[in-house]
Amino acid sequence: MSTETLSTERPISPATERLSIVDCDVHPIVKGGMNSLFPYMPIAWQKRLKQKAAEIVTVAPLTLRFEHPNGSALRSDAATPSGGPGGSDPDYIKTDLLDKHDIDIAILNCLQPGAMAAALAGPDESVVMCSAFNDFFLDNWKLTGSGPLRLAISVPVQDPVAAAAEIRRLAKNPAVAAVSLPLINIRMGNRYYYPIYEEAHRCGLPILLHVTGTDSIYYGAPHAAVGLPESYIERYVSLSQIAESNISSLIFSGTFEKFPGLKFLFAEYGFAWILPLLWRMDRTWRSLRHETPWVKKSPIEYVHENVRLSTQPLDEPERPEDLHTLIKLFGYDLLMFSSDYPHWDNDMPEQSLRTLPLEARRKIFGDNARKVLRL
Amino acid sequence: MKRRQETHVGALESFAIGAIRIVQVGRREIGILRSDDATVHALLNVCPHRGAPVCKGKIGGTMLPSAPGELVYGNDGKVLKCPWHGYEFDIETGASLFGIMRGRLHKFETEIRDGEVYVSA
Repeated sequence: MSTETLSTERPISPATERLSIVDCDVHPIVKGGMNSLFPYMPIAWQKRLKQKAAEIVTVAPLTLRFEHPNGSALRSDAATPSGGPGGSDPDYIKTDLLDKHDIDIAILNCLQPGAMAAALAGPDESVVMCSAFNDFFLDNWKLTGSGPLRLAISVPVQDPVAAAAEIRRLAKNPAVAAVSLPLINIRMGNRYYYPIYEEAHRCGLPILLHVTGTDSIYYGAPHAAVGLPESYIERYVSLSQIAESNISSLIFSGTFEKFPGLKFLFAEYGFAWILPLLWRMDRTWRSLRHETPWVKKSPIEYVHENVRLSTQPLDEPERPEDLHTLIKLFGYDLLMFSSDYPHWDNDMPEQSLRTLPLEARRKIFGDNARKVLRL
Repeated sequence: MKRRQETHVGALESFAIGAIRIVQVGRREIGILRSDDATVHALLNVCPHRGAPVCKGKIGGTMLPSAPGELVYGNDGKVLKCPWHGYEFDIETGASLFGIMRGRLHKFETEIRDGEVYVSA
């Protein structure tokens, strides 16, 4: 089977108009692993983690079954000039991603603490490690509220009260643009998460959701439907189910009635599945509204009000215009551009959604992000 | 492959077998790959899929189409894999492998004279 790809698109938007681009999903890595984090931990925790030889687990092992078929999810060509892994040098993120692809602002979303918080570390360990990771980036990378790199802080989801405290501790820092909430195997509409939502809502920070690397692998992490996948590729293409389940959970549990201003950005789950989900939720709500009477309007309206999806990984239908028809059907307001740099499946702005009308590109590449993220 | 301006890109001995070295030829970045003692390929450093620097990818082989559960390794040293989305290309023809896409790598003519490598680009 041959497929036409997006590379054959021809731009309709005037090439002269420069888009102001926000990249809402870039993955930094802590260079030096755990040793770089120790200065940001209490002494007793340094002792505990050193004694556990914890530096070996700063990157989530995907297990042999789910290891990337090419050996790493990191782009080999994004390695830093000093030989570090892609994403480990803020200056190189600026030159290799922002400058090269004309991106104004990038949101840093580190998956290392996410994996710890979701499954790899215990509750107390993950509280300490999330704070250490957050402080490392804010301090060591010298992030500011006016710089091009902003942080989605990671929170220890196994302890929602501590997660709320972490949001409260850092929310005043203008370099913080969002709260990255590592998902566990409790649906997002469950009141378990309320302390986190309440604090993020109070602080005006959106919640960013992203796979942590533990999904569909480790007990405690969220799993896609029907048993264990057999390979990386099978797991990869089923991860969007986790976002689908969580969006319906948020709607029907009434989360958006309880926290009406809170925004949720689902990053890297794709978006082609959202239209059938919207239609199904809307049609069923019309019949069974009385079961969840706190859902006071169509689920479609709640999604437009409170939910956003990142663009990556872009699907590539045989006719690119079909993708654009789909986006038009659910609305230009739902998408926010993300590259996923420095991962193997990243999308760059000059190669993404090029045949959309200029009005849509302005929204998707910047305006929508500016309304959702705290920039 | 159109014959254009010929450019000297280096001595044959300076190119290690099985590795790609990226050289600048005019406005183009071109990956020079010496596949054996006397064969040199010149490939545009732009992946036909999404424009990635494909010549920074690895040269190797691949798993040939096979029956479920069976692995058949082949084409050793003849496959270039893009470092971004992993698309695989035949270095001899520039074509993508096994129908993954219609596009192909852009190749340029090469010539070896007196131990020196020239690219027509």
